Amino acid sequence: MSEQQAAATKPAAIIDDVRAIIAKSLNIPIEQLTPQTRLDELGAESLDVIEIVFGLEEKFDITIPLKAEEATRLASADKSSAPEMPFSTVGDVAEIVEKLVAAKAAKAAQ
Amino acid sequence: MNRVVVTGIGVVSPIGSTREKFWSGLVEARSGIGPITLIPTERLNIRIAAEVRDFDPAQHFDSKRLGMLDRFSQFAVVAARAAVKDAQLDITEEMALEAATIVGNGAGGMNTIDDSYFKLYGQNATRAHPLSIPRLMANAACSLISMDLGLKGPTFTIASACASGTHAIGQAFQMVRTGQAQVALAGGTEAPITVGTIKGWEALRVMSTDTCRPFSRTRSGLVLGEGSAMFVLEPRERAVARGAPIYGELKGFGMSADAGDITAIDPDGAARAISAALRDAKVNPDDVDYVNAHGTGTSLNDKGETIALRKAFGDSAERLAVSSSKAVLGHSLGAAGALEFAATALALHHQTIPPTANFEEADPDCDLDYVPNTARNAPIETAMSSSFAFGGLNAVLVLSRA
Repeated sequence: MSEQQAAATKPAAIIDDVRAIIAKSLNIPIEQLTPQTRLDELGAESLDVIEIVFGLEEKFDITIPLKAEEATRLASADKSSAPEMPFSTVGDVAEIVEKLVAAKAAKAAQ
Repeated sequence: MNRVVVTGIGVVSPIGSTREKFWSGLVEARSGIGPITLIPTERLNIRIAAEVRDFDPAQHFDSKRLGMLDRFSQFAVVAARAAVKDAQLDITEEMALEAATIVGNGAGGMNTIDDSYFKLYGQNATRAHPLSIPRLMANAACSLISMDLGLKGPTFTIASACASGTHAIGQAFQMVRTGQAQVALAGGTEAPITVGTIKGWEALRVMSTDTCRPFSRTRSGLVLGEGSAMFVLEPRERAVARGAPIYGELKGFGMSADAGDITAIDPDGAARAISAALRDAKVNPDDVDYVNAHGTGTSLNDKGETIALRKAFGDSAERLAVSSSKAVLGHSLGAAGALEFAATALALHHQTIPPTANFEEADPDCDLDYVPNTARNAPIETAMSSSFAFGGLNAVLVLSRA
């Protein structure tokens, strides 16, 4: 695989893995998950979010810094009293994973 | 119905293993939290805990008996002996037959489990030690207390995670109140500082990497602790007749389940347990002067607990003094409710409110009087100790001046 091909296919593969992990944790069909799908609209509870993050960490061998209260804010549909989280959609999650995977690869290449 | 009093207190804690050291540590806000020394920390992200540091098991047990005792049982038996000694209670053979031993612990012999599995899976050991099972079973601490002190009445373990100790004391209270037991030895114990347990807690993302700051805006999570507290509960009539020291009268016990989230506090469920305890004690919200809070130092617990207290106490919440002992003791899970009940009983006894240590800044979400950093001399007639556990299980005790 050329470098260009790798660059082109990798993000798609990551978002598919992210969709698969979220679908499994929440027990919903993977087709239901698009990059625009919001986590709070899927009925995810705080522990679901923590489990999803764990699944992503295991899958990609990365560390995602997230505290329990942030997981609760992500899961909560009531955003009135809580600031918006840096990632709210499936696409946001995939983007964070892509960055962490790229950072890991860069570090390994050094 | 008997009136039930607390006549003996025994503690093994991160701030000392005598009643006096325990109390002075709480009052002086001397935190027992520090770097973990009991286990290798290379693989841990969280490297702090409130460890029991002045504890030499060989001082308390001969080598034969020690082989049977996981650390959580060692703590429990030592605390139980101290409680009986403190109560100056001579347990006759007749009394022993009706003496209850009710112990709360969230898990069991975690050190034994961790060590055994490490040998089995990590080192490919071919056999386990023959005492593995008796050491690790959840009721080991309870059974070993009954064996050590010769207590032969109703004896069992209560497991309700972080409310275990509180449920155990409440259960024992009810047994002495109804005459089902002539005397009860009750409390909680836990020794959860193992690699496996800490990795599990890390994964929940509720742990602080620096220290525990309950109710402070800067709070960053909970810190694990360990230890045990045990109590002698007996009918007030006999305690008075024999001239026993009385720390306080147990007046009420309230329980509830959230039937909701498995980890997050539910202010409604917590408030229902508080209200149930007040009703059982036949006291009004206005009568309570001090609440020893669950106060774990996580963002969610402390906010939720504040809502629960406001809900249960209404306008009376304004005059409440609330403090958490977890900045000093860490969170010892099944032992926490018992150690905090000891703090509550001693607060009544000394008419002094132990402070919430490590308090830095007020949080708009936590807007009660948390007695920050400095102990307060104040008249306390009635006090409350509350535990809100994982699994949504809540337990609250009400204690009044004897």
